[in-house]
Parts: sequence; C-alpha cells; structure tokens
Amino acid sequence: MASIWNISVLLLLVFGAANAESNVNQEAKKPIQTFRPYNVAHRGACGEIPEETAAAYHRAIEIGADFIETDILASKDGQLVCFHDVTLDDTTDVKNRTEFSDRKRTYEVQGVNVTGYFVVDFTLEELKSLKVKQRFSFRDQQYNGKYSIITFEEYITIALYADRTVGIYPEIKNPVHINEHVKWTNGKKFEDIFVETLQKYGYKGTYLSESWLKQPVFIQSFAPTSLIYISNKTDSPKVFLIDDVSIPTQDTNQSYAEITSDGYFSYISQYVVGIGPWKDTIVRPQDNYLTTPTDLVARAHAHKLQVHPYTFRNENSYLHFNFHQDPYQEYDYWINQIGVDGLFTDFTGSLHLYQEHTSPYPKDIKTSDDLLRKIEYIISKYERA
Amino acid sequence: MASSGWYVVSVILFIQLFLARVRGARSYYPLSSGSYNHAKQPLQTFRPYNIAHRGSNGEIPEETVAAYLRAIEEGADFIETDILSSKDGVLICFHDVILDLTTDVGNYTKFANRKRTYEVQGQNITGYFVVDFTIEELKSLRVKQRYPFRDQQYNWKFSIITFEEFISVGLEAERTVGIYPEIKNPVFINQHVKWANGKRFEDIFVETLKKYGYKGSYMSRDWLKQPLFIQSFAPTSLIYISKLTDSPKILLIDDVTMPTQDTNQSYWEITSDSYLQFIRNYVVGIGPWKDTIVPAVNNYLTTPTDLVARAHAHNLQVHPYTYRNENLFLHFDFHQDPYAEYTYWIHKIGVDGLFTDFTGSLHWYQEWTSPVKDVKSADALLRTISGMISAYEEP
Repeated sequence: MASIWNISVLLLLVFGAANAESNVNQEAKKPIQTFRPYNVAHRGACGEIPEETAAAYHRAIEIGADFIETDILASKDGQLVCFHDVTLDDTTDVKNRTEFSDRKRTYEVQGVNVTGYFVVDFTLEELKSLKVKQRFSFRDQQYNGKYSIITFEEYITIALYADRTVGIYPEIKNPVHINEHVKWTNGKKFEDIFVETLQKYGYKGTYLSESWLKQPVFIQSFAPTSLIYISNKTDSPKVFLIDDVSIPTQDTNQSYAEITSDGYFSYISQYVVGIGPWKDTIVRPQDNYLTTPTDLVARAHAHKLQVHPYTFRNENSYLHFNFHQDPYQEYDYWINQIGVDGLFTDFTGSLHLYQEHTSPYPKDIKTSDDLLRKIEYIISKYERA
Repeated sequence: MASSGWYVVSVILFIQLFLARVRGARSYYPLSSGSYNHAKQPLQTFRPYNIAHRGSNGEIPEETVAAYLRAIEEGADFIETDILSSKDGVLICFHDVILDLTTDVGNYTKFANRKRTYEVQGQNITGYFVVDFTIEELKSLRVKQRYPFRDQQYNWKFSIITFEEFISVGLEAERTVGIYPEIKNPVFINQHVKWANGKRFEDIFVETLKKYGYKGSYMSRDWLKQPLFIQSFAPTSLIYISKLTDSPKILLIDDVTMPTQDTNQSYWEITSDSYLQFIRNYVVGIGPWKDTIVPAVNNYLTTPTDLVARAHAHNLQVHPYTYRNENLFLHFDFHQDPYAEYTYWIHKIGVDGLFTDFTGSLHWYQEWTSPVKDVKSADALLRTISGMISAYEEP
C-alpha cells in the first residue's frame, strides 16, 4: 500500500511539475477570433501607458487586443526581458541613477555607432530597479516612474492568465547584438533560450492547429537566419519583419529589394507564415499623401504569406492626409482596400472599436435594429446608384 | 400568425422584391410611397446634429465652397458659417475680423496701406480688416488653410464667398442640408458698416435668409424643408431679430472669462437659471465652448458641470463647439481617439448637436452607433428599409 501511495505522490509531483508553468485552464476560454484581421497591440496599449509594461499589456487585453506584442532582449546575466531599444536612455530613468553613471558605452549596432546605457550591460536585478516612462512627450505622462521592466516569462504569464484567449507576439530582437554581448552556458544562444522559454509554457503547434488556437503565438524577427535557425526547434508560426527600403538585414546584409523579391518569398515561405513590413514601404507616401500601392501585398498573398504591417498610430502627425486625421479611415483603407491580415497598432482600443463596428461577431437577430443592420449588410454589396 | 411572424414574412417578401428588382424581374407591387424618389432625403432628426463647423475645414480651407461641398458629401446635417460684412455692406462668410491669418492679403502692394488697429471686444487688434475692403477687393484675395498641421494643398485656390453663395450651396444639395449662419461680431460690424434706410447688420442678415425662403419655427414643415439655426454671441442681436423671423436661434457662449460683447454680462450670469429662463423666450438652444461644460485639468476631464442638465431643464438644446480630430485637441481620457470623444459627449453628456471640424468622422461614428431610427411597427420598419434601398439603382 505504501508503495502505491509513494508512486501516486511521485506521479502527482511529476505531472504537477510538468504543468506548473501552464496550469491555467486554457480550454474553457473564449477563443481567439480568426475571422477578421488580427488586432496586434504593439508594445501593449502604449498609446496610453508606457510601453511593454504589465499595465500596458493588461490594458491592451482589457480593450480588445487579439495579440499582445513585445520585443525580447537579454540582460547581462542572460535573462530575457521585454524591452524595445538596445539602450535604456529614452524610456527609463537610468540617466538619473548615480549608481549607473559609469555604464555609458558606445557600441556598433547594425552598422551604426550607438551611445547610451545598454540593456546588455545591466543585470536583471539592476534593470528591475529602473522605472520606465512614456516614450512620446505628446502622450499621457501620468504613469511615468510607476512601472518596471518585465521579463519574457512575466509577459507570457499575463497572456495565459487573461480571461479570454489572448495570443502573444514576441520578437527575437537584435539577435546579432545580443549574441555578441551575452553568452549562455552549454553553447546556447539567444534564439535557443527564447524558444525554450516558449516551450516551457506550452507554446507549440502550427498555425491554426488545436495547440495553437489554445495558446496562439507568432514569433517575429528582422533576422531571417534566426527564424530559420529556430524552425528546427519549434513549429510555432513565424513572421519575417521587413524594415525600411534603405536598411539591409542585420545578419545577412540583404537589401529590401532582395528580401521582397518573388524568389525570396518562395524561399522564406518555407520557414515563415507571413511578413511584417513597415507600412510606408507598402504604400509609399509623398508630401504626406499616399501614392499608388506597390504590389507587395498581392505578391505576398500569392506566396501564401500573411501581411501584418507596422505601425498604426492615432496621432495626426502619423496619419497621411488621405485619412483626414481620422485613424479609423486609415484602418478602413488598410483592411478593406489593401487587405492586410493583421495590424500592429499603438491604439488597440481604436482598432477594436473599428472592427466591432464594421465586422462584428455574427450574432443572432433579436431586435429590429439587428435586422436592419443585417439588411444593410446584405444590400451594401450592391452598387449604389 | 403571431405578429412577429408576419413581420418577418413581410420583411422577407420585401427583400425578395428588392432583389427581384435588382435582377431585372418584374415588380409584383409598388413600394409604399413613390414620392420620396423625387423629393429630397429629409434632414435626420433622431440623433444629435452633425454640424460642419466652417465646412469640412479639417481638410479644406474654411468657409469656402469646396469646404461646404465636401462637408455635404461627407454627411453633414448642417453647414456652418460666420457672417461678416464688407466695406460696401455685402454679407460674406468669414470667421476673423482680420484677413491676415487665412488669406494672402499681405502679398498685395495695393493693399499695403490698409493695415489698421481697431478695438474689438475690448481688445486692440491690428491687421487688414474685412470691413475696410469692398466685396470686389475681398473676392480678389485667395484663402489658405488656417492650421499648418492640416493639408496645405488647397492654399491659394479658393476665394471668400458671400452669404448668398453659401445659402445656394445649402439649397442645391441633393438631400436636405440645413444652414447654421452666425451673426458675427455685430457690435463691431455696425460700428464700421452702414446700410441705407437706417438698416443694420441684423436686418440685412435676416432679409437675406427670407429672400431664399427660410422661415418657420423649429421642426415646423417649413423648417424641415429648409432647416436653419441662427447663432450669435450677442444676445441683443438675437432678441432684435426675433421680431423679424421665427426661425430658431442659438445663443453662443464663450469662455468663462469673456463677457458678452453687447451687454457686458459674465459667463456666470448668462448661464444662470434665471437667464436661461429669460433667453428661452428667444432661443431654442445654447452653443457653449465644450471646455466650459466639462473643464479639463492637465489635459484630463474633471467632473462635468450641470450646465447641460439645466439647459435641458429649460427646454434648451445644447450644441457645444468645437470637436477636432488632432490629438493636441483631445483630452487624455479619449486616448487620442476622436471617436471616443464623440462617444462621451453623445452618450455620457447627452448633447443635441456638435460643431465639428471633421464632419466625416462624426458621420461615420453616428452611422455605426445609431444608423437607424428605432422602429416600433412593421410598417415603420418597411418604410425605413425602402429608404435604405432607394439609394440603389433600378436596372
């Protein structure tokens, strides 16, 4: 009897340990929507709250994000953190910290000399001691100094504990720079730790598979070799980010023209399910007016690649005049005219409202109001006189 | 059959009828009332008024024909304007008493000696005054977009228009579009411009409206055919014209520090219960600056005042000004989202009309959130549906 007891306890411990990191029941949650373009909360609800903080992510989930997005870098002691810039200067109070005043450095990052306080020169404990602030001066400053940098694992936990299914969209950020400055044991590199962290929390499965729908994820990077490298380690869907037309890839030094060619799309579509271009390269503006769209989206779609452009922002300084300073007009253009499959937005609440108004969840007709809306939808397909 | 069953069946039959028309099949029976095909689509009156402040001036230089046509295209219920007068007494659409900020007047050597300094509402202002230029001279100028962060591509393309031209734009629209002209700076105008027969600015203003058939109290048949609100910051002007026209009037209310130009009364006096009771004899509503209704501190809204509640208690409409999309005009509560601002003012505060520089955005917002009037009977439902499909072509 004692041995059966021992075995049961052992088994319980084993199963308990295996599930420790994802013991929140993902089964019963409202599933992720897949019938309209993905609302990707770029750095959380960073239009309202300092980027990449727990508060920004909670807020994004509250206001309707399908995915919360983040950038993963590494601390000096190899801990993966959510942070966008390689330096801490623009979004933390590091410059006010006398204890760190000797940490300023100049490193070459993607061919450019950058000076500042580098994330890779601070341990996790030191990073955690900093306070973050809103990047843009024209956004709400009231949360400055209130929040800290979070780790990759803390970010994942926020998504898993949401009361509906919320996907994550982490970026393998500046992997060349990180691998230059941070070393892990057993010869592992940044990408290995990145994938191991995801797998520890149960992220697996190809796009739209049962596993994926329970815990949706897109892994993004500007570095194609990183994405190819991890394709052996995880079948989770990957998205290839594409920078401005003048910026070559950091790892393979290939130009925009090359990595957006048909030949390259054929090749990379073996490894990724989509691309994430800067929207002004898809439809180039001139004098703040849109010019004729390029064929990038059409060609990507022809190669069965999704297109998730970045970044959509409400402030009129970011809106081309075609949109009359109305961010909803911009959503309308990109979703209905260009036909993208997902949008990285700093204002996930606005995109959510736009989508709820124009492509709501299908619902039963209960009132004459619902009926009229349904009729309006039916006849809107016909051409107006 | 239960009434809901009949309702659904009749709707289905109606849809099939419509689809049959589209596919070229024969009609089985005529639609309920064919006359609407020839009459203009009426003004909507079931949701707050979308007032295109100075036309669609978020996109196109303010108070030009193009700005008004664009506003109508984008769905405005009313096109709004400010009426001033030229030296020779012609009423024009223009907001500022000086031409400096929105025209190229400074480029004309022949006008170089026209610069003046006058006192306007207790302040000395220097510039090229509208009242020192004849209509011909004003017409020779070209206008530009007031704000540098708005589209500059239409600068120097358009001219100043007259009150009569503005009215024509309203009347010639293919649906019913109301006009919302302001008796602007009447004290100043009457000081500088004289008309024959002892007439004053307000007389000419009303005569112009009457010449084009504007009449009738709010919501009367005449009014619904040619909707109109007459607005002014000067209560005596509104009281004066109340003898001349029964068209509905709106008292505009400036910031809390600005007294009325004609009666020198403070904000607190003209928003008091007793004043509202008094002015209700002459106006159907008030047009306050929205930051006085809900004051903002550090760009966040504070507790709303009771102005709207008290105005409504006196049966006065409230049409606040001015709603703008640019984030520098949006308090942080709205997260740089102009539609969040509309939601707040329409659903939380409950205003009856909104002066907006972006009539297109307000129209989208209203179409999404209150597209159709509540229908209470199957009959009303069918009429609403036929209204919806009347925009579509018969093959």
